[in-house]
Amino acid sequence: MMLIAGTVPIKDLPLTMGEVRFEGEFLGLNDIKIPCTQGTAALISAALAATDYLKLDSPHVLLVGDNGEGKGSRLLYEYLIKNIHDLLPDVLVLHYCLPIMDLMRKLVESVERCSKKPIMIADASSMYVAKAAGLATKFDIFTPDATEIAFLADPDATHPAYINKHLFDTDVTRTPELVNAAYQLKGTAKLLLVKGKIDYVVRDGEIIDTITEPDIPELEAIGGTGDTIAGLVAAFAYAELELHEAAIIAARANRMAGKFAQATPGTKVWQIISQFPAVFKEYLCEWSGVCYVEGNRSMSIT
Amino acid sequence: MIFQRKKKLSFEGGGILLFEKVEEAIKAEKVLKGENYAVKLVAPPPTLRKGCDLAVEINLVEQMGIERLFKQKDVVYLEVVPLKGGGELLEIVKVTDFKEATMVKAGNMKLTFDRNTGIILNASGGGCPDIPYLHTQLIDKKLTEAPRPKEIGFTLCALMMDRAFEECLLLWGKGGN
Repeated sequence: MMLIAGTVPIKDLPLTMGEVRFEGEFLGLNDIKIPCTQGTAALISAALAATDYLKLDSPHVLLVGDNGEGKGSRLLYEYLIKNIHDLLPDVLVLHYCLPIMDLMRKLVESVERCSKKPIMIADASSMYVAKAAGLATKFDIFTPDATEIAFLADPDATHPAYINKHLFDTDVTRTPELVNAAYQLKGTAKLLLVKGKIDYVVRDGEIIDTITEPDIPELEAIGGTGDTIAGLVAAFAYAELELHEAAIIAARANRMAGKFAQATPGTKVWQIISQFPAVFKEYLCEWSGVCYVEGNRSMSIT
Repeated sequence: MIFQRKKKLSFEGGGILLFEKVEEAIKAEKVLKGENYAVKLVAPPPTLRKGCDLAVEINLVEQMGIERLFKQKDVVYLEVVPLKGGGELLEIVKVTDFKEATMVKAGNMKLTFDRNTGIILNASGGGCPDIPYLHTQLIDKKLTEAPRPKEIGFTLCALMMDRAFEECLLLWGKGGN
């Protein structure tokens, strides 16, 4: 099972768990319709687009309403701390959630006690709190953008708003230096996908690939296009691709979906997500060697 | 083992509120606990000490919501400082021009508006749980009519979004560029 946990901007949504499905431009979870907008909903939608295409089980999600006050986030942490050893996901994705260091620490401890450790992916504030609490190396994949890699490389910052301004000023061409600093400080997961004009895929401190094409600068402005990359990485990891392959293909697919959607700064993330099936159909075989698909992970490689 | 050390209840907030007077710190703690914020009375580290010997440790990411609450409840404080690092919020913004839109980046947040209409086209970046909510509240609204992130958000991500919003307003006031 792939489990995606995060908050959504529906303040009264109680802690809810289940499998998701597409219902037009919405996500269906039990009898709830969730708009596919920036944040965890975008991440789930991208992951679902990939699992649907690959005929894998749909993602299980653990969602709760939280508009920033943190009550929902606390419920989510506490549920996972208590139940993760029964849920036993193959892939665990932690996303939008109020960063609470002591609860993240307890959650990581609970995961470490599981009989089988999931592939741990953190994006957004879950990545922030993992780094701030000194737990980054417990994770398998982080997906930071250019500012967030500066945050991971800052020995003191507990949130990107407080990073050293010299790191924020850093030119994008210096990303490899920041990557190196982040690994030296143990401020990052084992594998990094740094999103930007150049996407860097880094494993244990070594840059193993960069992705630059197609170049769609407008994607940076579109809220949710970082979330979709994280969702794709999770789905491809769940499909048992090597983690660096999952990251490379996710970065390529996101860029290509932007091209297919003819992205402008006003494009909504749903319009990008709706292009994923066409992108997979045209390119996934070429990129991954997965050229036909059977259900539940029995994929053949050419 | 005969003696077992009782495990301390942990709270790691990452930031502290400094006060001129002890009674202000005590009032602040009471107000924050009344609103269900996780906080702890602490002695400020010597390097950060200003004012009195009592401080309140907070979850730094909740800084913006806490400062707004203090305004509403007339709680007086000196400042909020992170427990580690230089202690300065990022003030720098970066501007990127697209064909008919301008994107302003402040910290980890980006806000993009249409230069012809002043309508907010997109908000991206960030990771705190109020960001998706702010996204729904701001998108497709005019800069001059949209709610300010600092009025309805709670976190440092929202504070960065407000800095971007402020710069967008400034650019729009100058004619969009």
